[in-house]
Amino acid sequence: MLLIALFPFTLGRISPYYNTVLILVGIYVILAVSLDLLIGFAGQISVGHAAFFAIGAYTSGILTTRYAISPSVALICGLFTSGLVAWGIGRSVLRLKGYYLAMATLGLNAVIVKLITGFASLTGGASGLLNIPPFHVFGFTFQDHRYYYYFVWGLVILVIISCLALAKSPFGSALIAIHSDEEAASTVGIDCPRYKLQVFVVASMFAGLAGSLFAHFMGFIAPDDFDIFTSILILVMLFLGGVGTIYGAALGAVFIKLLPEVTYGFQDYELFVHGFILILVLIFMPRGLLGIVTKAKNRMLGRKDLVISSSRG
Amino acid sequence: MDNGVSRKVETKGNYLLRVDNISKSFSGLTALTQVSFGVERGHIKALIGPNGAGKTTLLNVVSGVLPPNSGHVYYQGKDLTKMRSHEIAALGLSRTFQLVRLFTANNAKVMDNLTIGAHLKWKPSIVKCLFLRRSIRHQDQVMRERAYEKLGFVGLEKAAANLLPSNLPFGNQRLLEIARALMAEPEMLLLDEAASGLNEAEVEDFRKLLLALRDKGMTILLVEHNMKLVMDVADEIVVLDFGRKLAEGTCDEISCNQKVIEAYLGSDYVNTGGGNRSG
Repeated sequence: MLLIALFPFTLGRISPYYNTVLILVGIYVILAVSLDLLIGFAGQISVGHAAFFAIGAYTSGILTTRYAISPSVALICGLFTSGLVAWGIGRSVLRLKGYYLAMATLGLNAVIVKLITGFASLTGGASGLLNIPPFHVFGFTFQDHRYYYYFVWGLVILVIISCLALAKSPFGSALIAIHSDEEAASTVGIDCPRYKLQVFVVASMFAGLAGSLFAHFMGFIAPDDFDIFTSILILVMLFLGGVGTIYGAALGAVFIKLLPEVTYGFQDYELFVHGFILILVLIFMPRGLLGIVTKAKNRMLGRKDLVISSSRG
Repeated sequence: MDNGVSRKVETKGNYLLRVDNISKSFSGLTALTQVSFGVERGHIKALIGPNGAGKTTLLNVVSGVLPPNSGHVYYQGKDLTKMRSHEIAALGLSRTFQLVRLFTANNAKVMDNLTIGAHLKWKPSIVKCLFLRRSIRHQDQVMRERAYEKLGFVGLEKAAANLLPSNLPFGNQRLLEIARALMAEPEMLLLDEAASGLNEAEVEDFRKLLLALRDKGMTILLVEHNMKLVMDVADEIVVLDFGRKLAEGTCDEISCNQKVIEAYLGSDYVNTGGGNRSG
């Protein structure tokens, strides 16, 4: 936490480029963490998270550029538009299970991208939407990336705290029940369709928030930013970090987004090294990066237990 | 006795649960044909019959897991037929499954299974879970205490609460499932072959548990293969065969019913003189 807070004044000061990178990392942390709520807890596989990322970004982008609405209002609109679309689509799509749900959400992602490309007069089409103003609220503009960094990471932490609170609450327990066995869950009184829809809407709203933050940060958005590969990237972050833990998703997002910065030095071999590291992680850490961390922690705690029991003996 | 079909043993008004002319078929295969019976408040009713007789299907219809093709199920006079599982559970009707179905995703512990069982008491909404942390924490404490109480009631140790359900021996998993069902404080339990896979000592404990539940006023519909157990605890028995009701009555009536003896209890049962029934 301290590391995040101090960053812009240490390394970020030396090279403002890292501020830029870390803002994007933060945006992806929001995406991965919110998807974890849906996949890791409720067990509903979505391969279309970028669709809601897009809806947030384009709502913000269109409202601010075409209608000159303040970014702060646009951000809230983006949040609710994503939620509303998720509510409308989720009511039917969430009846599907497993692979079928994955396919449907994948299709949804493709449809959203097509729609964005198609309504060129509004969205700028394939060439993208330009000149999205930077975020400002109460007359204060986050022109300097250093300030925007704090704004984004403040929201990231808020999202993580909310997701953790939900995950550890009875609401999260109900999701776990649905994940385990929908039929058994409904016989203990859980209204499965309702809870699935609720978590889908919440996850999508967070994705929409990430989209708005992204649009105001980049100033320019194009359909390519939100295609199915983005959805898959978010999935990879989630599975790499560790599913169903919230922290794991955040860790995965940081890892994936920072990896290219490390492998950058390999130049022509960059993609190769990047892929190789991913494969290594997936082979040797089947429970994700967080799995390794908890294992190490348990080992240390286990040693402590050993000391206590031996002192007793 | 020639016609094994039921004789009325109770007055209709006293039924907590009434199954009325239920029929169910799966793409042409008939599972239940016009089955009717009732369960009196505070009684243990056993539902018996050979494999494939439609016992579990009937339980699934009653608990809302499957919709019937025709007929109605009434609970406290309310028609359950059009209701969904969770709505039926909310009326105070809890069930267990033939193959134990505990919640295991995300390393859910025994305690998690129990607190989820109390879902109907929480009604946890997103807003409440995000913004009313204090009330949630208080509720959590109350539910945990209740969970320990239910664990003790079914005969599991407190220490089991922190284990994974899969680490419990099979018999204890069954008990946990019953404890989970009890967390919702139901008025009636539907137990699907709850004693299958239990050893003799465990069956004896289970028998005591059933009687303790009845003493507390619980109404139970028990699907069971263990005839000795059924004869020991059941107030009435209903017999299914090929999806039809073959007989209904008290234990004595059923064990004297020639058709039932031939078809279900088998000649062994006849030779041992009706098992060692108590009372």
